[in-house]
This record gives sequence, structure tokens and C-alpha cells, in this order.
Amino acid sequence: MTIEKTLVVGVLALQGAFIEHINHFKQCQVESYAFSFVEVRTEEELNKCHALVIPGGESTAISLISQRTGLLKPLMDFVKSNKPIWGTCAGLIFLSKQIINGKPGQQILGGMDIQVERNAFGRQLDSFQQNLDFSSFIPELTDFPTVFIRAPVISKILNDEQQSDDADVIYSKNDYVNDRPVEVLHKLDNGFIVAVRQGNKLGTSFHPELSENHKFHQWFLQDFVVNSI
Amino acid sequence: MSEFKIKAGLAQMLKGGVIMDVVNAEQAKIAERAGACAVMALERIPADMRASGQVCRMSDPQMIKEIMAAVSIPVMAKCRIGHFVEAEVLEALGVDYIDESEVLTPADKKYHIVKNDFKVPFVCGAKDLGEALRRINEGAAMLRTKGEAGTGDISEAVKHLRQIKEEIDYVMSLKTDKEIEEFAKEKRIPLDTLKELIANGGKFPVVNFAAGGVATPSDAALCVKLGAEGVFVGSGIFKSKNPEKLAKAIVDSVTNYNDSKKIMEYSTDLGELMAGVSISSIKDNEKLSSRGW
Repeated sequence: MTIEKTLVVGVLALQGAFIEHINHFKQCQVESYAFSFVEVRTEEELNKCHALVIPGGESTAISLISQRTGLLKPLMDFVKSNKPIWGTCAGLIFLSKQIINGKPGQQILGGMDIQVERNAFGRQLDSFQQNLDFSSFIPELTDFPTVFIRAPVISKILNDEQQSDDADVIYSKNDYVNDRPVEVLHKLDNGFIVAVRQGNKLGTSFHPELSENHKFHQWFLQDFVVNSI
Repeated sequence: MSEFKIKAGLAQMLKGGVIMDVVNAEQAKIAERAGACAVMALERIPADMRASGQVCRMSDPQMIKEIMAAVSIPVMAKCRIGHFVEAEVLEALGVDYIDESEVLTPADKKYHIVKNDFKVPFVCGAKDLGEALRRINEGAAMLRTKGEAGTGDISEAVKHLRQIKEEIDYVMSLKTDKEIEEFAKEKRIPLDTLKELIANGGKFPVVNFAAGGVATPSDAALCVKLGAEGVFVGSGIFKSKNPEKLAKAIVDSVTNYNDSKKIMEYSTDLGELMAGVSISSIKDNEKLSSRGW
């Protein structure tokens, strides 16, 4: 097989567990494609990317640093350019259209029509690990170890009618319209939504980059990055 | 083991970030607004503890509670070395991380807390590889250099970062089991923990931050360049004239540690910084970093 071209997958490296994502991606392979995985801190680095991962970290820190270092606008433009983006934990918060339990001044990218609640399970003592069955969307992945750390959940799937102005909610200032439907990929037994997809945008409450298994990353490369070209 | 993954995992999420000492809810809010990835709640910052010459203990739970209510980022709190009851109190309070800290007056001159017995994760200070691996063996889920807290002098933190790196390089160069066993014995390191480090390519199973004496954006970036995965800032921020501006500058410098032009911008016009105390003016037996073993 000849390699068509090298696809650049960026991992936003403002704060948080970005190295873990890069290390997981490096173990993946997709036939006839070559990848390069890069840390993204500047607009120049972002513009070279075919896809972006927003890692776990502190969502307030990531948002504030992006504003101060001039990266917020380029990130919003990246969302509009319709390239694949995956947010994990804090990244899910940053990628959403609305957040609750956010902080004043915490800006978000508005890439997915979801409302995300920060720290929905509570504090660190409520963090947990659980094996989940993802075989409905990733073939044969029946027993995937997920780690939830002070994790957010998708508290609401938004539709056009829900444009109310609630003081407890932070709204994205991005005018991007994601014209694909939101698919719920996984719900916990208690009903909490912890994985969603909308077109080529993916959001997870948990941290596949902390498991020993790279199949979730493999799926992202195959189904989102390669399929979008 | 899965419990450990959750404990160490939170520290992984703090990487590339700045954890700031705060003494009240107001300071905690300033830290959060500046982009701190966590705050350390304590009654007095190390510079004031150092000046007081008094016994320093765990903070009043009321004050920690107020800080936990004021911010949405993780809240850490300190207990004395070996004082497992203070640790139990902090766990009952629901803090996100406990720092078993040499900045407080040690409660036990022989034993550190058995951190594996707790559900809440611990961070511990280490000035060399032996301390680092003993703390990991006891169940620490995160490490930091000891540095010399409350001085604004970065030299001890630099020394500890370099010391640990040199010792790891040395260990990785050892060829025979006998050499490894001898090193473990000499440094009082549990042999299994040392072997795990070697099997892991010389990388700790936990995150290692810099702490103790960080006072400027350049100090913070220097630590990251020397291998620290993030930075604690104690007295430096709130002992300066313009804490909010300095706090933001340090956060941005840790993100852009490799971009000297940006660090130049962040360092500009910060106003008066923490005056500090130089390490050479402190007697060895008065150094906080000599506490813990």
C-alpha cells in the first residue's frame, strides 16, 4: 500500500494530559495512512492540523489560557472549518455549546449541541473507574476500562427551541452551526450521558488516554480523521 | 491498583498547570480567575510560617471549607508529616488532594503516613530519588520537589530536580542485579519500587511538579525545562504587589515554557515581586527541606 499523505492530528497543549493522548495515538495504525501527532499551543501549529483533540485538564484553565494567548478565536474558526475534533473531560466541556457550573469568563467553543455539567459526580473522592461496553459503536469493544475523574456529564442534548437565557448557564459565543444530529453513544446505568457524537465531533466524559487500551484512539483515527478526508 | 489510577490520574490532569497557595476564599478566586489548575488551602503561606518560628499545623477545616465552596477547581490541603489523623480529617472534609508537607512542623520524626490506606490521593515532597521512591512506595500519587518554601529562591528546587534526574540516569546505567540491589540498599529504597522504575524506562509512575521558591514566570519555565510537569507557587504570588497579574503571567509561562519571546512579555511590568530570603542566609538545620526522610 502506498501512503496517500500524512495526516496531522493536533492535541491542544495549553494545560492538562496532552502527552497521554499523543502516546496512545502513536500505538495506532490505519492502513495506507501516515500520521503525525503534534502539540498545539499556537495558531500556526493549529492551522497545520487535519484534526484536533482537546485533552483533560482543568476546563477553566484551558479556556482562560486560550483567551490570553490569542488562541480562542483560531480554535472557534477551527470548529467552523468542520474538521474532526474530540474532547475528553475538560475537552468535552470546552467543545460544548452550553455549560452549567462554569465560571464567569469561561468561554467555550460551541462545536456540539450539548449542555455539559462540570464536576457532575462531585469531588475527587467521587472519581471512579468502570469497564463499559462500547460495542454498539466500536466493533468488539465490550469491556473498555474507563476512568472518570471529577468528570462532567452531558446534561442535555440541545435543540432549536432551547435558546432561553438562563443565568446559571454559560453560552458559547461561537455562531457555528453543526448541521448533523447529536447521537448518544453511551449512557451509564444511572442515565448520565457520557459519550456523544455529532458529525465529526466527539465528546467523552471519561479518559480513554488513561487506559492501557488504545482502541478508542484507533477508532477516532479511523472513523473521524480518515473518514473526513 | 485501579484505585491508584484514579488518584494518579487527577495529578495527570493538573500537568502543565500551576497550583497556587491561598489563605482565603478571595485569594482562591483570584487564583481560579488567573487559570490555576488547583489551589492549596492553608492558613499561612510558607513565608509567614518561616518568619513566625511557631508550630505549624493543618488549617482550620472551616477555612478550607470556605475555599472549597468558593472555587470549582480542585482544592488541596496540607497535613503534617506522619500525622495520619490530620489526614483523616482532611479526607472527611472531602479535599481533592492532601499534601503531606515539610512546610508544616513534622508530627512523626520516623514515619510518613501510609498513604495507600487512604482513598484521597496524596502529594509528597522529595529532594532526591530515595525520598521520591519511598513516598511512592507508601502510596503517594504525585510528587513535588521540596525546594525551599517561603524563600522566593529557586535554587533548591533546581537542585532537587537535577538531583533526581542524575540519580535516575545513574540507576538506568546499572548493569547487574547486584549493582541495583546495592544502590537500593545504600539509598534505602525498596528494591521492588526501584526495579519498577527501571522497567518503566526511568519514568515515575506518578507526576512530578516543582515547588519551593518559585517567584517569577522565568522561575516557573525553568522548572518545566528541567523536567517538572507543572509548578506549585506558594508565597511568590500573594507576597508580590500585583498578585493577579503575576499569577496569570506564571500560568502562561508554564504553557509556553519553550517560547522565550512570550516569557519576556509575561515578565514585563509585573511590579514589585516577593523580596525573598536567599538560601545561603539560612542555616542547614533551619531548612524546611531537611524535614522528612
